[in-house]
Amino acid sequence: MKSAILVLTSAGFLAAQPAKAPALQVGAWKTLKYGKLGDVKIPDIEIVTLKNGIKAYLLENRALPFITGSALVRTGSLLDPAPKKGLSEFTGDVLRSGGTKSKTGDQLNEQLENIAASVESNSSDEMATVSFNCLKENIDEVLGVFVDVLTQPEFRQAKIDLLKTQYRSAIARRYDDADSIARSEFSAIVYGRETPFGSEVEYENVDAIGRADIIAFYQRYYHPANIVLSVQGDFDKAAMKARLEQALGGWSPQAGAPPVFPKVSNVAKPGLYFGEKKDVTQTFLSIGHLGGLLSDKDYAALEVMSDILGGGFDSRLFRKVRTELGYAYNVGGGWGADYNHPGTFRIQASTKAESTVETVQAVLKEIDRIRTEPVTDIELNTAKEKVVNRFVFNFDRRVKTLTRVVRYDYHGYPRDFLAQYQKSMAAVTKADILRVAKQFIDPAKFVFVAVGNPDSFKTPLTDLKLPISKLELKVKEPAKPAAEVSEASLAKGKAILAKIQQAVGGIDKLKSVKDLTTTATAALGNMQAKQKTWVIFPNQFRQEQELPFGKVIATWDGTKGMFTAPGAPAAVPMPPPIQKQLTDELFRGWVMLLQSDSIAGRTINALSENVIEISDKSGQSVKVTIDPATGLPAKSNFQMAGPPGSSEIEVIYKDWREAGPIKLPHQTEMFQAGRKAAETKFETISINSGVTLAEIMK
Amino acid sequence: MRRFALFTLLAACLSAQSLQDFEKRITEFTLANGLHFIVMERHEAPVVSFYMHVDSGAANDPANASSTAHMFEHMIGKGTVSLGTKNWPEEEKALKEVEAVYDKLEGERAKGRRADKAQIERLEAELKNAIAKADGFVDQNAFTREIERNGGVGFNASTSLDATNYFYSLPSNRAELWFALQSEWTARPVFREFYKERDVVREERRMRVESSAQGKLIEALLTTSFTAHPYRNFIGWASDIENLRAKGGEAFHKTYYVPANMCISIVGDINAAEMKKLAEKYFGPIPAGPLPPRLVTVEPKQEGTKRTSIESPAQPFVAIGYHRPENTHSDDAALDVLNGVLSSGRTSILHKELVEEKKTALGIQTISSFPSGKYPHLFIYFAVPNQGKTVDELEKAWEEIIARVQKDGVDEAAVKRVKTKARAGLLRALDSNSGLANAFAATYMTHGDWRKIFTDLEELEKVTPADVKRVANEYFKPTNKTVAVTVQPTKGDAK
Repeated sequence: MKSAILVLTSAGFLAAQPAKAPALQVGAWKTLKYGKLGDVKIPDIEIVTLKNGIKAYLLENRALPFITGSALVRTGSLLDPAPKKGLSEFTGDVLRSGGTKSKTGDQLNEQLENIAASVESNSSDEMATVSFNCLKENIDEVLGVFVDVLTQPEFRQAKIDLLKTQYRSAIARRYDDADSIARSEFSAIVYGRETPFGSEVEYENVDAIGRADIIAFYQRYYHPANIVLSVQGDFDKAAMKARLEQALGGWSPQAGAPPVFPKVSNVAKPGLYFGEKKDVTQTFLSIGHLGGLLSDKDYAALEVMSDILGGGFDSRLFRKVRTELGYAYNVGGGWGADYNHPGTFRIQASTKAESTVETVQAVLKEIDRIRTEPVTDIELNTAKEKVVNRFVFNFDRRVKTLTRVVRYDYHGYPRDFLAQYQKSMAAVTKADILRVAKQFIDPAKFVFVAVGNPDSFKTPLTDLKLPISKLELKVKEPAKPAAEVSEASLAKGKAILAKIQQAVGGIDKLKSVKDLTTTATAALGNMQAKQKTWVIFPNQFRQEQELPFGKVIATWDGTKGMFTAPGAPAAVPMPPPIQKQLTDELFRGWVMLLQSDSIAGRTINALSENVIEISDKSGQSVKVTIDPATGLPAKSNFQMAGPPGSSEIEVIYKDWREAGPIKLPHQTEMFQAGRKAAETKFETISINSGVTLAEIMK
Repeated sequence: MRRFALFTLLAACLSAQSLQDFEKRITEFTLANGLHFIVMERHEAPVVSFYMHVDSGAANDPANASSTAHMFEHMIGKGTVSLGTKNWPEEEKALKEVEAVYDKLEGERAKGRRADKAQIERLEAELKNAIAKADGFVDQNAFTREIERNGGVGFNASTSLDATNYFYSLPSNRAELWFALQSEWTARPVFREFYKERDVVREERRMRVESSAQGKLIEALLTTSFTAHPYRNFIGWASDIENLRAKGGEAFHKTYYVPANMCISIVGDINAAEMKKLAEKYFGPIPAGPLPPRLVTVEPKQEGTKRTSIESPAQPFVAIGYHRPENTHSDDAALDVLNGVLSSGRTSILHKELVEEKKTALGIQTISSFPSGKYPHLFIYFAVPNQGKTVDELEKAWEEIIARVQKDGVDEAAVKRVKTKARAGLLRALDSNSGLANAFAATYMTHGDWRKIFTDLEELEKVTPADVKRVANEYFKPTNKTVAVTVQPTKGDAK
């Protein structure tokens, strides 16, 4: 309190004694007069066409000794073939990282970094770019690399493999960050999960993309008629034109037809989509629906409306949700428009879990208000003044003009689009704002995405009275790499299986097996388990495991399972994940697996001389590798389901010997993700003991 | 090789040239009260950027009131005595009443178990009413509205451990608006809507730390590696934030927002002489004050490697930090080069080996100065394992690489590459008004001279591979090291 008094006293002193010390200018902002703003210099852009048809935009900019350039390629992820989602990004990335005919990507890295230059390549939704940036004295060398990358890419396999690893890792991390989940799920739902606008790259897409696909994609889209070039920096235009002609003018590969981008056609189901995430304290929200195009005649009115609703530090949403209620650090959003496909109208906020529902309600109230009452004069004027006074920042760097003109041309917009927009903005009235808010924002169509921890919600989500769908925040598991299936490989698969059948005693002996009882000791890391198993073929099962902390019993009568956990007083219905593991294990049991050729719906495909893959229509699959010397299985490989995701399993089979009429392995070793997870030794294996279902279900 | 040498020479000339060029275009002056200004004329476009740098930040937070500096920074949006109010005399009274009631409430709460619960509830209700009454006089967001209306862009403020910054750009004919608003606020900030803004700051912590695995990991790294120094706390504790008081903000302002502890830079299409007149008119009346007390706490010597973990269902991360000296230390340049050799660009050791060749990491980064540089701080390594790879593998890989650098040193060519990139990087950064303004003020306050932006390069140029090897041995040792990793939650915890 003492310090507060001191501050107030000194301020009072200043105000009281202006003669001795100049007074602090309190309120001076009210009466400021401003002179005319200096002229905006709009730089000259020269557009030339090279001999091979490439259009090039040139802008001299002598402020710094650099030159930058960029080739804009008419392609993008919207053109990805569905099973190979990600192909354009793969192409864009490996175009540079995979090196050229004469140099590897690593050699290029070194060459460019030695002179602090860069050549980069990437791809987005509806365009790809290949760009360079260098000191002016390195222009010949760097332009050479740029042209080499653009026209002579080698797409080396090692960099494709590297990118695949990185993609898989990124996919595995997709549901880690609540904020980005809310954003991407919103897009997926509004644009449609199955459409090019809303889909995401999955493991199976990554697996499906090969070098041949990348080369074909490159050849289809990276050619002169499909490219515009822009170069700016410290150079002379005429000299640069000659340089480009020499470096690039001779490149004339075969041209494909101009690509046609898909249209947005999805109709999203309105309602609340909730993603549960328990490791966060905030709920991340995205609310809205499809937006429009930049060319819409009401675009300017929509922009003003949006600015008043959710733009900047003085919007209605900021004022209400942040300043007044203190619910959020981040809140805002508005109308979104794109050049050639609709953007989204979207409001975003993140708030403590407790105030989730209250924040949604506060946002809805503001949306309702802007649709039912005219905005105030102050709001309209502030929004307009803002745009008018800010206009100069569209020209504060010369390169902005170049970027704009190239973008407008690329998307088929008039070059004076910015000026036109400025003009329509000046004409917007309060009535226009109310009209567009009513016409273009429709809360009945809203998609609400919320990601957070429901345990802390003060008010339940059901209070919002919206249909609620739960979001599955789980990555689609990698599909098994598709092996080539042909009549020949299927016939060969059957032949290999027959060889195994022969090696274990013959198909008739296999068919004679009605039941199986085993006792075994399993070493699971440092833990020992006694294990007893009964199977009545084809699909009834009991297993008892004695672990250091108690006994686990699992039973399966062919349709349903029961499970007794250590120390549990009674059996409970088997939890679905355990059920899945158990039925998977039944599928892989040798007695039935080796009869797969007489079980309907199973496929036996040879992957090589000694490997077959047995799969069924439910998605079960196992690869079996035989020992060519004995014809007996040496190992099997499969995916095991289970938290935190599925993992790669390999089982080695040893000590094959007689067990009743057939041969079975008496020792197995299991490896999980390359590490040894279990070793099992079978002490007894007895066949056809006549055990009954009643006995094993008790 | 020959071309390379030529290039380096050329780059050296370029930077000398730009320094001379800058000398010509820059005007510096200090007001009688000690406030320093750096003004640069750039007439490319009729716009101007302003940057105010206060040489105190979160490291200066009072004990048990972490986030005070940050909370004060948020007050910039709340306006001044003349802007943001419907009736200042009445609002002022109402704000005093809020503080008086809050004092009573705290007085009662301070009794602990002897406190009268009913009285606390009464006072809480009274406080709520007093706040509501004060809120009735607020013209919300008027300060930011005035800036935006006049075409201001990039309005924002930031608080680091070392400093607090306020910045935005305006059309250059409206430069005087910045002087009027910024001087009034700097001299007489108003603690308007303080307790609502406190909730916003609390949300900021939830967003940046509590809802982010990376945020949690970095917080764990800092609290573990620093025992005593305020660098241990980078965003403030939840319970401290929830109890911050306006009077704490006032005390902070009085101590740290003295003219001699601040620097202002202005870059754009303006006239330096005019700026000086405006500076005198608007900032001259702010009374001089003593420089703030020095931060005396010195981090005690670490006695062994420290390890910490946080549970997170997200995919794993690892962060490793090593104590290193302040950034005015003579080893700073060598540590920067080491940092570049390790992780800058695709040719760097860590990127090449861990990302490209062994595919252990999805991404890696080293930062030579973290979380801030004024006092001894950390050199950190942050890595994101690829799918199926572990944080242990990434720690081991790092240890192997470091051991190699310590034993065999680094390539001459790699060192040269880092220097070349630093030169070009500096030249590229000279391209924007706001970037320049930021660099001038921050460099002046840290090093006492904006020219250090350029002369730093000369120090970098002197670094030899032997220096790099020496600092790797000097600082990457077990008694400087702290490891923070994420681990999967133990069973029974929330997934």
